[in-house]
Amino acid sequence: MKLKEGFVLRDVCGEQVIMGEGIGALDFGRLLCLNETAAYLWKKAGEQGDFSADSLADALCEEYDVAREQALADVNAIVGEWKKVGVVE
Amino acid sequence: MTARSYKVAGHVFTLESDLDIDEGLQNYAPFAVPAGSDAPAVFTLEIVAKAPQAEYTEEARQDEESQQIICGRTAGNQSVFEFRLAHKPAGTLVCEEGYRKSTLYLTDFAQRFGINNALMVLYALATAPLGTALFHSAVVEHDGYGYMFLGKSGTGKSTHARLWLENIANTTLLNDDNPVVRVLPEGIRVYGSPWSGKTPCYKDESYPLGGIVLLEQAPFNKIRALRGIESYAAILTSISGKRWEKSIADALHITENAIARDARVWHMQCLPDNDAARLCHETIKVR
Repeated sequence: MKLKEGFVLRDVCGEQVIMGEGIGALDFGRLLCLNETAAYLWKKAGEQGDFSADSLADALCEEYDVAREQALADVNAIVGEWKKVGVVE
Repeated sequence: MTARSYKVAGHVFTLESDLDIDEGLQNYAPFAVPAGSDAPAVFTLEIVAKAPQAEYTEEARQDEESQQIICGRTAGNQSVFEFRLAHKPAGTLVCEEGYRKSTLYLTDFAQRFGINNALMVLYALATAPLGTALFHSAVVEHDGYGYMFLGKSGTGKSTHARLWLENIANTTLLNDDNPVVRVLPEGIRVYGSPWSGKTPCYKDESYPLGGIVLLEQAPFNKIRALRGIESYAAILTSISGKRWEKSIADALHITENAIARDARVWHMQCLPDNDAARLCHETIKVR
């Protein structure tokens, strides 16, 4: 998977928010609020470029004290949400 | 070549042209300043009556109320904006890097429309890094403060502004369509501009921002204060910009965050009636 081009993570009044700014993302028409974990995963996904649930779960385990199984479940929930709203492909 | 300079919300810009366009520039008269006398211009626009030489590739387009703006880029990486009225070309704007120097190529159709749109686009983009935002909004002045009414096309921004004029004492119209907002060290200020939609209201005046109200039509009147990200979302779509150009998006985001943090913002569901204006005024007036 990869993050769809044109979506950016910004700090809006202290909250982490994804918005569509690029060509092709202009019609997104909403602000997607991320919690701390999701914002961390978004940044990691951007760094990794081509990412998978496994590669993000690895990244999560590096940063947070969490069991691999739990990390993978969290990643799947968050990435599932991203797929649903169409910010990853 | 005749040069004309104007100062809108403290930012000077210059028009250069050999064309006889004075009649189409009456809305700019209150903003005229002697050419070259003031602060350096944030941008210079040359206006010519010939077809542009360069071809461009379309990136995005906006289509509202039978007015189209087609945005693109030339092979030489210049930004291009073509303005069409009811799908008929009025002019093509070709911009150098940073929007400081541009050329508008007019057709012989709807020249005034072409000039106004080119200047609004240039103003929005050239002043974006200067804590400045060109809004789509109606704005009234009341007791020394500016109150802005936002909403989608057809929501009733102008109608709500008129209801304030009719029902609230000491109220005047500052601008009916495109006011300018600046984030300044002393606070947020709202300014009149040469662009006011269908209402000729071109005032070189400014006031501290009293509040912003996002309007939505409803079969009742109800108003609710917004905070933080809600305020940001409320103002976002009312600000002109070219979000797919990163430097513009970054600059506007800083301005929008400052407004969302410091301005008083409300969401109002309302009827187009006198009570709506009274409820709004009673809730948001600066005390």
